[in-house]
This record gives sequence, structure tokens and C-alpha cells, in this order.
Amino acid sequence: MRPLARSLIRPYVCPSCRSGRLPARRQFASDAQVTPEIYDVVCVGGGPAGLGLLAALRASPATSKLKVALIETQDLQKARAWNLDSQHFSNRVSSLTPSSVSFLQKIGAWDHLDQDRAQQYQEMQVWDGETGSRISFDWSMETSPFEDLRTVATMTENSNLVRALLSRISASGDENVSIFSNTTVSSIDNGTDLPDGPDLSAWPILSLSPTGAAPSQAPSRIAARLLVGADGINSPVRRFADISTDGWDYNRNGVVATLSLAEQDPVPFPLGTKTAYQRFLPSLGGPVALLPLPNNHATLVWSTTAENAAYLKSLAPKSFIAMVNAAFRLGMPDLKYMMGMEKPTSSDVDDQHESELSWRLQHTPQSGPQPPLVTGVQEGSVAAFPLRFRHASTYVSPRVALVGDAAHVIHPLAGQGLNLGMGDVASLARTLDYAATHGMDVGDILTLERYAAERYTTNAKIGGACDMLHKLYNVPGQGPIAWGRSLGLEVIERLPFVKGLLMRQAEG
Amino acid sequence: MATLRPTLRALPTSRPLLLRQQKQYQRAHSTVSANELSHFSALASSWWDPQGPSRVLHLMNPLRHDFIASCLAQGTPPVTSTENNTGKEVGNANTLKYLDIGCGGGIFAESLARTINPASKSTTHTRAASITALDPSSTLVQIARDHARTDPIVAEHLRNGTFTYKNCTLEDHVSSSSSSSPSPSPSSPSQSPSPTPTQSPSIPPTNQYDVVTLFEVIEHIDNTSPTSNPTTFLTDCLRLVRPGGWLIGSTISRTLTSYLINQVIAEAPWPVGVVPRGTHDWAKFVNPEELEAWVQEALMRGADRGVTVRGGGGALGEGMRCIVEQNNSIH
Repeated sequence: MRPLARSLIRPYVCPSCRSGRLPARRQFASDAQVTPEIYDVVCVGGGPAGLGLLAALRASPATSKLKVALIETQDLQKARAWNLDSQHFSNRVSSLTPSSVSFLQKIGAWDHLDQDRAQQYQEMQVWDGETGSRISFDWSMETSPFEDLRTVATMTENSNLVRALLSRISASGDENVSIFSNTTVSSIDNGTDLPDGPDLSAWPILSLSPTGAAPSQAPSRIAARLLVGADGINSPVRRFADISTDGWDYNRNGVVATLSLAEQDPVPFPLGTKTAYQRFLPSLGGPVALLPLPNNHATLVWSTTAENAAYLKSLAPKSFIAMVNAAFRLGMPDLKYMMGMEKPTSSDVDDQHESELSWRLQHTPQSGPQPPLVTGVQEGSVAAFPLRFRHASTYVSPRVALVGDAAHVIHPLAGQGLNLGMGDVASLARTLDYAATHGMDVGDILTLERYAAERYTTNAKIGGACDMLHKLYNVPGQGPIAWGRSLGLEVIERLPFVKGLLMRQAEG
Repeated sequence: MATLRPTLRALPTSRPLLLRQQKQYQRAHSTVSANELSHFSALASSWWDPQGPSRVLHLMNPLRHDFIASCLAQGTPPVTSTENNTGKEVGNANTLKYLDIGCGGGIFAESLARTINPASKSTTHTRAASITALDPSSTLVQIARDHARTDPIVAEHLRNGTFTYKNCTLEDHVSSSSSSSPSPSPSSPSQSPSPTPTQSPSIPPTNQYDVVTLFEVIEHIDNTSPTSNPTTFLTDCLRLVRPGGWLIGSTISRTLTSYLINQVIAEAPWPVGVVPRGTHDWAKFVNPEELEAWVQEALMRGADRGVTVRGGGGALGEGMRCIVEQNNSIH
């Protein structure tokens, strides 16, 4: 609890002192009296957040007049050309809440998304592996029986989203917009007061260089009226702006994989209704979740300790499948035993995990709806990434704004990470639109503070809630905390209006 | 605002200059109060500090743009052939000439200059083609010019003359506008000379403005002498407005709320107060009825000198009330 409290209650620095401290960070660039190429918005990072911002700025008449640039280290041409057949899915999948979807619709990017690769789900089953208490989320209490069940969220591959955003940006024309891919920001400095030109001493100047030998048409120096850091957890933009970030590592890994499933039994009603499943496994360090993808596929997100993650990654496909099926069905002691089983030396012997699972399943009573059995794992899709919590001390500084992971990284158990980023982008785009129609300087701190005010508490609240859940569901055994959290879950399950309130919060 | 720091050094040297100017203004029966002038010049260094005493003005500024847009939606002066003389294209959507009286450090003037876009084919929300900003304090005008350089777009407007800062009083501007016309228009000979020698000559249309703005100025105008008071000030403002144009302003009304907020709380000692003592004089605050009376009076005086009495007056009073409400909510 201590680190969370520390991130919420920071030593208070009054706003005037904060701005007084800023000039110290900015060194003067000694070289180049030449005027750099001037852009209104320079976005560093071409992930969903950066591209989302660019697409949003292009979609509004006022902000489409701004001269914008995006800098990305990777080759975005590859992202544009990304293509997979309908039986294969990328393992980097996000769940988009209805508010993220409506934002993407508003900026015209949703139409560019390959809808056949996106999967909506209408229900969510969450249960505690330790106590068995269960909660289900769907909108049935708020929709009449005569209309379709409302979507809880939509599963989309990040590559599909990135490709859609890129094609939305291309569709807006190439006037006032430059995308420099294969380009690295080698340094960010403050500009100089040009004797015959404008005084750029408070403007960030980016020095760009091509990544490796790849082609890049970027100018070598560009000035940014507003520099947006959409450059991830180790944001160089955040470092330039000297914005501190607070947080901790969870010492957990998220194991992801693309899975194929057996037919749902019994057949869901109405036909086509999809369900997401999440089971908390307190003894193994976090929840395991199975989120639906089209054509009876699903994506796995299993938050567990680093050792367990390494073990899972090292398993043969058959054993891995058995472990995933076990994770949704077996009790904690069985799972812990299977997690420690000797790995078969050669793959031709009968899979021990599989036989262990079928034997143990006969002795485990099953209750409540179970996810369909996993039948296959896509080759090369098993991967693990470390889970962390980070929150920047502020999102804005004169001529700098942070969005997405550069501003906050949270536990993925509620699938909110990308949605928070989309929320940031929507808010920043709205702020810049207001500025552009009111004669404001888009990089001015007075403009940007509206964005920070709108997003900071929202993100802290959701990030904090995910952190709290993570901690609550990491207490193993049947002690008072396990009893309390199960009671809480049962109470919420039986109070539709509390559940509705929570769902609306999660919806964003 | 790191860029403001160097201007602090200019402050002591500019002070004698300032006093000289004040004397000059008093001789010329300016409506500028000497106390107000020195007070605001001393505030100069913090003018653009987003957390400084002018923070409320910065926060209010977007609302001024909304207000202007709502006024323009009700009508603008017709584009005349004289527009061609000033180098504007016929058919350009953004043709309005702005004058900002009492621009101070340029908070509003600069934001308006940012909306000037000669390349734009569609109308901008201010429809601005050019802006001239006046302030009697040389220190503040210098601050404004220095700050304008930090934005390349505004700096470019300043360089090519679509945006001008003038360090002079309204009265000086009126007399220079009426005596000299930069581009003599063909209609000039037909202008009748002023009716009486004591009154200043009328202002040729080329020197008039489509929109004259007066934001948080009227409450700082001297109201002591019969020759310099809000009425004479408003008369001069109105003479600069083209027929069908707008005089748009905002001020604080003299209410119990404004007394508590502006005098008791805002000027309280640190850390409660946000503005230095003496920034506002509650007794000088203007209520909507008073303002309406002054404007009526000014319009009548102006009518004697050829100001078209149409529009403006009613909308101005209305606008005052509108801004007053918003002003209170910001505090």
C-alpha cells in the first residue's frame, strides 16, 4: 500500500514554484543559428496513442490547419502493410471500451478497422479461484429483452488499430501532416533567440536522425510549438521535460498467447454472444483471462510471477494448453503442483500435463459457466512482458504534453491501459481544438493545463483501482481478506445498481 | 515564462521616460490616470506569467473570443472598395480590422493576431485581417512586443504590419488618425470638415476599424475631470468604429460580490491575494446602467461628428452583463 499512497500524495509544490523551477532544466543549444523547420504539434511515438492523436487532429476542421509531424523509430510502412489470414491473430490484443470505440468512430478511424478481425463481447465472467465466489458483468439489467445485448468491450489487435489509424491519416490528405518513420530523436534541446527571426528560446528543438540504414526523409532539426510524448514507458520526451515518474514493478509477468477454442457448449443464447472469462489465482500471483477473438479464437493474458511465466513459456504446446485449461478449472493446490511438474524431455512421450489434468478434473467439482476448452495455441504467439505501475508527476510542462504509456502504465487486469491512452488523446485533441478556435497558443501551459486537469485524476483513479484489485487478489488461502473480498464480490453481484455503476466506470 | 526575465532589467531605465510621458498625457487631457499607468508598468514582469497576477486575464481570454464570435454572428460592416487599398483581396473571407485599446502586455491582442490567417479561404472565428493594439505604457508595449517574438506566427504578423503595437494614448491615436491618412482614399475630398474648430476633425473611413475592443479598460479610466472621463473616452472609441462595426468590451460591475472578490480577497496579503494592492479601485467599477448611459451620451456626442448611431449601443450594454457574469464565475 505504501507506494500507492506515495504516488497519490506527493509533496505539494505550488504551481508558481513549479513553473519557477522549470527554466533550470533547459540547456541552450550552442550550435545552429539557422531557423529549424517549425511545426505546431510534433508527436514522438507512432503507437496507438500517437497515431490516435494525429488522426483526431486531422479529423477536426480547426486542428487540421495545424502543421503536425509524427516521429517513429519503427518502419510504419510495415504497419501499413500488416496482413494476417483469418485463422491467425497477433498476440498483442487490446480490449476497447465503448467510449474508446465511440472516439475512434468520431474521428473516422473505426471505418478503416478490419471489422472481421475485431470481436465484441457482451458478457464477462469473473471469479475467485480461491473461494469460488463469482460475478458476471453484462448490460442485461439495462437493456430491454427486445434489443441486442450491449457490448462490454471490443477485442482488437493493436496492429489492426494502428493500420486503421494510419489509413485514416492518409485519407485526410497530406497537407500540413508529415510522418517521419524510421526516424530517431537523437536529442531534444531548447531553441535560441534568432536575432532576425522569432525568439525560440523556450521552444523544444528536436534533432532527428535516420534509424540505421533505413531511408528517412526527415529534416535534421525541427521546432515544436507543442511536443507530445507518446513514446512509451521510458519516454525521452518526459526526460527532456524533466517530469519525474513514480511507480513500482509488480514482479509479475503477463503471459500472452493466441489460442483456438473448442465449440462453446452449451450454445450461447442469443447466438453469437461472446463472453470474456477472468479467474483470479491468488496463489499463482494474479488473474488469468481468456478474451474472445473471431472464428473461435481467444487471446490469453495470464498475470503471474516471473518464475511461473518462464515455466509456462518453456512448455511444449500440448502442456501449455493443458496448463491454461487447468488454470480455469482446477483448485489452487492442484495448479501449484502442476506448475512445478517436471518438463518432459522429449515431445513424443505422452504429455504428462495433459494426463495430470484429465485425472485431476475427475476429482474437481465444477460450478458455474466454464470457458470453452482450449484446443490449440498459435505457433510463436506465447510471450511474456513485465507488469509495472508508473504515473508521471504531471502530464504537461510548457510546450510539452504526455499521453498514453509515457504518462501512465497500469496493471492490465482490467484491460484499461490502451483505453486510458485513448482517453488522453481524445481529451488532448479536444483541448487543442478549443485552443485553435480561441486564439490560444497550443503549446502554452494555459492551454495544456486543461488537458492535465481533465485526465490526471481519472487516470490515477483507474490505475489505483487496478493496483488495489491486484493486491487484494494476491492474498492466498482462506483468511479474512479472502473472505472479505468474496463477500464484497457477492454483494456487488446481488446489487444491480452498484454493478451498473461499476460497469459505467469501467466503460469510461 | 523564462523568456520574460530579461525584460526586468529594462524597468528602472524606462521609469523617467514614463514620467515624462505622463506629464505629456496630462497636458493633452488624456483619460489615462497617472497612478494607473505606473501601477501597471510595475506589474510588467509578471504579465505573461501563467501563475502570476494576470492569471485570471489569461483564463478569461478565450471567453473574449467566444464573445466576439457571438457579436460577429449578429452582423459585420459591409466590405467596401476601400479594403482594396489596404492590400486585401476581394473575396477573402477574413477582412476585419481590429483595434485593441489598452492592450497592456498584449494578452488579447496577441491571441487575436494568432487568428489572422491571410492564406485561409474559410472564415476564421474572428475574421481578423489586421490588428492595431494601443497602450499608454511603454514598458507594457515593450513586454508585449518581446512576448510576440516568442511565437513565429505572431512575430511574422508583427514584421509585415498586419499586427501593430502602438505606444500611445487613445487620444493621440484619434488625433493622428484624423489628421493623417496613410492611403488617401478617393472619398476623402467629399468628407466635410469638422463643424466647429474646437472639435477634432472626423476620421476618414480608412482609419476606422470594424471592431474596437476594450477589455478590462473602462474601470481604469480617470473619472475626475470634466475633460477626461469615461464619456469622452467612449466618444473617442466610437469615433474609431466604422458604421456597422462593433465596440466590444468587458469590465467588472460594482457589486458586493465584486467588492469581496476583487478588493478583499484578490488584493489581500500573500498567500490569499493574487494581485498587488491598488490593481483595482472598486469605486471606479462600472455598472451596466451607468455604462449604457455613458455609451448613449457618447453616441450622441459622436453623432454630432458623424458617428452613425446604429447597433453597438444596445449590444454593448447587453455584452457587459454577459461578461460580468463570466468574470465572477472565474474567480
